[in-house]
Amino acid sequence: MSALERHNVKTSGSGARSLVFAHGFGCDQSMWRHVAPHFEDRFTVVTFDHIGAGGSDSKAYDPAKYATLNGYAADVVEIAEELDIQDGIFVGHSVSAMIGALSNVARPDIFSTLILVGPSPRYVDDADYEGGFSADDIDDLLASLEENPLAWSASMAPMIVGNPDQPEHGEELAQSICKLDPDIATGFARATFTSDNRDDLPNVTARTLILQCRNDIIASERVGAYVRDKIPGSQLVMLNASGHCPNLTAPEEVIAAIRDFV
Amino acid sequence: MSDTGVLSDEALMQSSAPCGLLKTDHLGAVLVANERLGLWLGLSSSDLCGTPLTQLFSKASRIVFETSIVPLLSLSGQVDGASLDLVNSEGTKTPVLLSAAVSGSGESSVTTFVFLLADARRAFERDLAKAKVEAETQLSSSQREGELREQFIAILGHDLRNPLASISSAMNILSRETLSDKNKRIVTLTRGSIQRMSLLIDNIMDFARNRLGGGINLTLSEGSALENEIEQVVAELRSVHPDRDVLLDLGNADDVKCDVPRLGQLLSNLLGNAITHGDPKRPIHVVARKSADNFFELSVKNFGPPIPPSAMERLFDPFVRSDNHGDQMGLGLGLHIASEIAKAHDGSLDVQSTDSHTIFTLRIPQG
Repeated sequence: MSALERHNVKTSGSGARSLVFAHGFGCDQSMWRHVAPHFEDRFTVVTFDHIGAGGSDSKAYDPAKYATLNGYAADVVEIAEELDIQDGIFVGHSVSAMIGALSNVARPDIFSTLILVGPSPRYVDDADYEGGFSADDIDDLLASLEENPLAWSASMAPMIVGNPDQPEHGEELAQSICKLDPDIATGFARATFTSDNRDDLPNVTARTLILQCRNDIIASERVGAYVRDKIPGSQLVMLNASGHCPNLTAPEEVIAAIRDFV
Repeated sequence: MSDTGVLSDEALMQSSAPCGLLKTDHLGAVLVANERLGLWLGLSSSDLCGTPLTQLFSKASRIVFETSIVPLLSLSGQVDGASLDLVNSEGTKTPVLLSAAVSGSGESSVTTFVFLLADARRAFERDLAKAKVEAETQLSSSQREGELREQFIAILGHDLRNPLASISSAMNILSRETLSDKNKRIVTLTRGSIQRMSLLIDNIMDFARNRLGGGINLTLSEGSALENEIEQVVAELRSVHPDRDVLLDLGNADDVKCDVPRLGQLLSNLLGNAITHGDPKRPIHVVARKSADNFFELSVKNFGPPIPPSAMERLFDPFVRSDNHGDQMGLGLGLHIASEIAKAHDGSLDVQSTDSHTIFTLRIPQG
């Protein structure tokens, strides 16, 4: 199976440069549905699902490969290779910000521009670094995901939209919104929230924009500033939006910031 | 989304409903909360107003809320039964189930949250998850054990073949000597035992291989070798059971598409069964022919007592043995392997048992 099939890759729009949107932990490519279509006039727009999310092929999940974010970065490189992307733009939300940074370090030729939405190179506090969470908090998260797969899957299950008008068809249309395979969720959470990619930041060569929200408990302003200081020549734009998901709560702001930069 | 049926803020705050209730604005700040929720959190419901909702959750639940619940609420307008922990100012966690729905849009949107206490349910789910892991562990360890046992059988069978081959060639050498009648009988009996044992080993090994997932592999050939093979199997049986009458009616068995040694093995198994169960005073009939409907048929008939209906059902299952032939008991694999060989040829092995006779018929489609 090709990487394009495995990752449920969708391309639209036209343009010499490709603009790849990557979702973070907890959701799938529908995360970008209010933003991505606005770039179809100037770019080839690409969205995809990480393995375990949305319409991806869960059978491709390999715990060893995906134990760190490098496995996810390798997937991004593979998708880009199959699409023949060079000099592209990568927009990564949440953990995908670091996944984009890693893929840039591994293959600087693929993406010459990175846009990092709510990035964090490390979620757990360290000596003089404030990631926002203690190791116990993350253990607690992983234990709750592991212990409680039923409740997790109940809230993450695809919505089943029946067709009561035509019961004779007996077909149910499964609509995927933020679908995450419960068996893979814990592994993805572990790779995400135990990651430490601080040392990779200085090796990023792409032109980089950081989009920072207010009151983001997942990736604080302090962490955003840290990323800006470590990635050579990067810029940080403070959004008015609050929380961790401006691509959903304030898409216009995100669209405008990306447009200004590219 | 319509506001019909949504509690007024006042009614919500005073609600004695057995659940926690609150509403937030579009930024996730608490607008109103009921007293019960305040009770769980050790806060008055007025203290709660203005607090960011995420602060009411444990750190782990904040991550789940921000990364998973917020997108779902934003994209689908509602969430049902998410499992999260509330936390009070002392750090005590309260497991809850959360459901929420958004009404209105943009900056005027309001989200209503309902929390149900979920201690017992959480414990139940934890036990369920644990039981699942235990069952899976147990299953995989019994599967491993089963595999080891079957590998052991396969190796044992293989290693038994060599000494048996030595005994067999010793008997062949002896049979060419001039022997007394008594010794001739001993050689004949020994060769019969060797043949039975060799068939047993073949069956055991096929059974183990089948269980290990190898299946019965066929090497198909077309030619006249099948007639030879049938004649040879019958001749061998006659030589070791000179007292038994085996009649062979060999019609046209040329150019039958099959695995010749496998059909030989199948016939040996059916003949072994007929020797054990058939009337020793009456003949065993072997018929090989091509049917009008383009099947190759091989049948073995004996005049033994009918197979009891209770035994009929499991006749081709492994390790099924009849009760009334204590001295001749095998492993009960012969008919099982014979039927597996038939299946491997896309054919069938059927039995008809009446008061007068019992007949096993193999049918293999041709062309």
